[in-house]
Amino acid sequence: MADASFYNKPPAQIQFDGGIVGQTSMLHKVTDQQKTYGLRARKEALDALWKQGVSGHALLKQHTEFIDHHIQNSFDECEAAGKGFSLVALGGYGRKELFPFSDIDLMLLYERKAKKNLEKVADAVLYPLWDAGLEVGHAVRTVKECLADAKADFFFQVAMLDARLLTGSKSLFDELQDKYRRKFIEGHRSDFLREMLEYRAKRQADFGKHAYLLEPHIKESRGGFRDFQAMLWTAQFIFGLHGLHDLYDAGILTAAELEKLEEAYDYLVRIRNRLHYVSCRKNDQLYFEHQEEMARAFGFKNDKSRLAVEYFMRDVYGHMETIRVGTDLFFEHVNEVLDHDFKARDKKVLEPGLEIRHNRIHLASQELLNSKPILMMRLFTQSAKTGIPVHHRTKKLVSANLDLITEKQRHSRRMAQPFWALLTDTNDPLLGLTAMLETGLLAAYIPEFNKVESLAQHDIYHVFTVDRHLLQVIGELQKLRNKERSIFNTVKAEHVLFLAGLLHDIGKGFGTGHAERGGDLARTIGSRMGLSDVEVDNLAFLVRNHLFLSHTALRRDLEDEELIMRCAERVQSPERLAMLYLLTIADAKATGPSVWNEWKAALLQELYLKIALLLEHSDLSEQDKNQGAKLGARWMREKIFELLPHDADMDLAMLPDDYLLNFAPEDVVEHLRHRQGLAKKDILLFHEERQESWSLLLVTRDRPGLLAKIFGVLALHNLNVLAAQIFTWDDGTVIDTIEVSSSISQNYQDQNWQGLARDLDMAVNQRLGLEHRLYKKLAPLRKTIGGTEKRLDAKIEIDNRSSEIYTIIEAYGHDRIGMLYEITRILSDFGINIYRARIGTRADQVVDVFYVLDYDGRKIKDPAFKEELQEGLLYAVSNV
Amino acid sequence: MKKIEAIIKPFKLDDVKEALNGIGIKGMTISEVKGYGRQKGHKEIYRGAEYIVDFIPKAKMEIIVDADQVDEVIETICKAAQTGKIGDGKIFVLPVDEVVRVRTGEKGKEAI
Repeated sequence: MADASFYNKPPAQIQFDGGIVGQTSMLHKVTDQQKTYGLRARKEALDALWKQGVSGHALLKQHTEFIDHHIQNSFDECEAAGKGFSLVALGGYGRKELFPFSDIDLMLLYERKAKKNLEKVADAVLYPLWDAGLEVGHAVRTVKECLADAKADFFFQVAMLDARLLTGSKSLFDELQDKYRRKFIEGHRSDFLREMLEYRAKRQADFGKHAYLLEPHIKESRGGFRDFQAMLWTAQFIFGLHGLHDLYDAGILTAAELEKLEEAYDYLVRIRNRLHYVSCRKNDQLYFEHQEEMARAFGFKNDKSRLAVEYFMRDVYGHMETIRVGTDLFFEHVNEVLDHDFKARDKKVLEPGLEIRHNRIHLASQELLNSKPILMMRLFTQSAKTGIPVHHRTKKLVSANLDLITEKQRHSRRMAQPFWALLTDTNDPLLGLTAMLETGLLAAYIPEFNKVESLAQHDIYHVFTVDRHLLQVIGELQKLRNKERSIFNTVKAEHVLFLAGLLHDIGKGFGTGHAERGGDLARTIGSRMGLSDVEVDNLAFLVRNHLFLSHTALRRDLEDEELIMRCAERVQSPERLAMLYLLTIADAKATGPSVWNEWKAALLQELYLKIALLLEHSDLSEQDKNQGAKLGARWMREKIFELLPHDADMDLAMLPDDYLLNFAPEDVVEHLRHRQGLAKKDILLFHEERQESWSLLLVTRDRPGLLAKIFGVLALHNLNVLAAQIFTWDDGTVIDTIEVSSSISQNYQDQNWQGLARDLDMAVNQRLGLEHRLYKKLAPLRKTIGGTEKRLDAKIEIDNRSSEIYTIIEAYGHDRIGMLYEITRILSDFGINIYRARIGTRADQVVDVFYVLDYDGRKIKDPAFKEELQEGLLYAVSNV
Repeated sequence: MKKIEAIIKPFKLDDVKEALNGIGIKGMTISEVKGYGRQKGHKEIYRGAEYIVDFIPKAKMEIIVDADQVDEVIETICKAAQTGKIGDGKIFVLPVDEVVRVRTGEKGKEAI
């Protein structure tokens, strides 16, 4: 009683081979308890096989044979089954590919005159299977019923292709096969293909949804078993070819394709085996929770750069991709063979070497490729431009000739030309790029792509593998062209934006820091493709910062002006901001349905607008490479020139860019007029009442310690400094705008403006003893402030991280008249230049922020110097 | 038992979560919501294009706690979510009749 022992023995002792030929009649007598054992034992038996290294086809075959024996025995022992019956296996079971928990598809074929025995035979065959808890798909039919059902139900018609006689009457089975062939196959090939393609399209629509990309369905998803089987069924139906090797012999598959497809199929078989085992049921979807366990079972291990599950899923996606591409090409071929109108009816030459035939783009001849490898690139550009797919044989030709793309080609600007056109100047860049990726041309042209091909990301956000995600981003960018038209128009270097989209995740697959690494890789790629230095910088910037806006929008207080200013400094120009914003949206949209929503869009837009408005009104870059600022400054100079009297002899080049971008043209003209006044006076003061503050404009000539002197005089006149902007023209003219308020609540009219102008003049001419005057003024105040207690509030922070250009010094101290004077005087002593100052008061605490560079125009980095400066400033803020 | 619903600024979410963890509140439901109150929507004009923000993005957290914990939770949320500016949000406290843990069928306090 081998079968009973099979169900009871511990797994290690199970002989799961042809030796099991016991009396299956015992099977339906097993008790409930034994049944549960049976199921568990079956699972363990399969596991034991797995551990012995039996997997893939071998496992399926052994499983099939095991079930065959049982069923054949039940049937053979039933006397009533002696005549007029055949037992037929269908579907996967018919193909001898029985997965651990797959349905066992059985059909009991009978002759009408044997009908009286039907019930007995069916009971004898089916009960044992049911009792063992197996999933059985069963039917009883006569030949006539069979043909009628096959006509009505396409699935059954297809299942009949795999029909296999298990036992019983051979003549009856042969009769069915013969009639089936005559009725459905001969003369019906086109109908079959049409139905098969409809079914395929529907399945692709159903299982192409996002959820199935993240958790692929091994059977139904694109590149799954169904795609593979559909190919083999069709090959059998249309050409009478059985299996992959026949397809190879017939010249439909190349040797390389055959090998890859076989390998991919075997991998899927192993996955499905294991998946059934892991999930203890007929489950064909690689759910998230199974992926890690599966990865371990397949022997993958976590390492520094990637998780085991990411290695595993990369293999899964890679093999499914092989089947997807392979079967797509096959169906294109079949379609063409059966399409009688096809024979070279219409032919349109697109350009020398490329032509459209029957709505597919072809290479005119293979020989052309050797002399003009650029045709490979142009092929996909034309496809993206026209929206017409590349013919499958031409695609195969490209795949076979990838070695023509050499290092020289990768550096060639001529080669880059059609690639730029594909990215930025076609209606359907995704179509061209997808074909480029699938043929391998993309990775041949940009070898860095190899690393991210089929690379999975084990999280619930990324529904695509990295390579597909990168392509999707291009598709999304293309859509944004219309949706965000006004922002898109800000972008002049579109090709840089699109290339950044294509490369933004290129640094993935090496562990953390993918954006940084990606930035470096993008730099290499951009230079190789012949981008200018500025373009390469922008490209690297976009890749490196592609998460910056979304992180900031979600995690930072957008009402914090300092933050917006730091963002603006980082981004530097409106064009870069627009590119980064568009890239951020496209990236989020292409990641998956859970990533982008109106809620996030609103936050991101708010951040974008705030930075954009700031960038429009100020320039934050000292660097010449800042293209946007350059353009803005040039525009300003043109405007100013128009406004000036024609006889004016002005050299506008002396006005620094960052100065120009902070003022309206009219203001600058005004300043230029003021400058002439400096011939008579050493410092000019203009004041104006604003809503919240008084605005001062000071025009003078640069001299050492100027700012300290100004702040000192302001303190002397009871003026609190709220904000200050400091500009120096190339000819030494200083334009300072300072926002102040009265520290003693004076009215604007009552303020002694003349006295202020006089003292300023004396101070810049070294004729005012600021030090002792301030000391005297502050003396009475000094007593009222508790010394040590307030000292605790004082703090100096020297920050080199927040701004890319400047060192930011933050001085915290108890608010006190004259403090700003002392701070700036100390900075001046240290030879430090102040580029921007922001003075904020919180209750009675002052936070002064200075954007500074050292004497040589560099950040303050030397630790010893930093410490000395810190001590000096700390003394100033805590010296009450 | 009470349900505490807090509408806060999105960027404060992590701070509030952390603060609540600090007083032993581990479970909460968080959603992305939009709305407006005193902090009205606004219109921005940039390069000639109008950007109208009707509703302002906020984060909503829902927490079920025992009645005697309510004050502490409210205080913790307020402290962590405050910026002092308009739009810091609101907290609502609602009565809860019953809580059932689906997996075990536990009810009341045990199920929180």
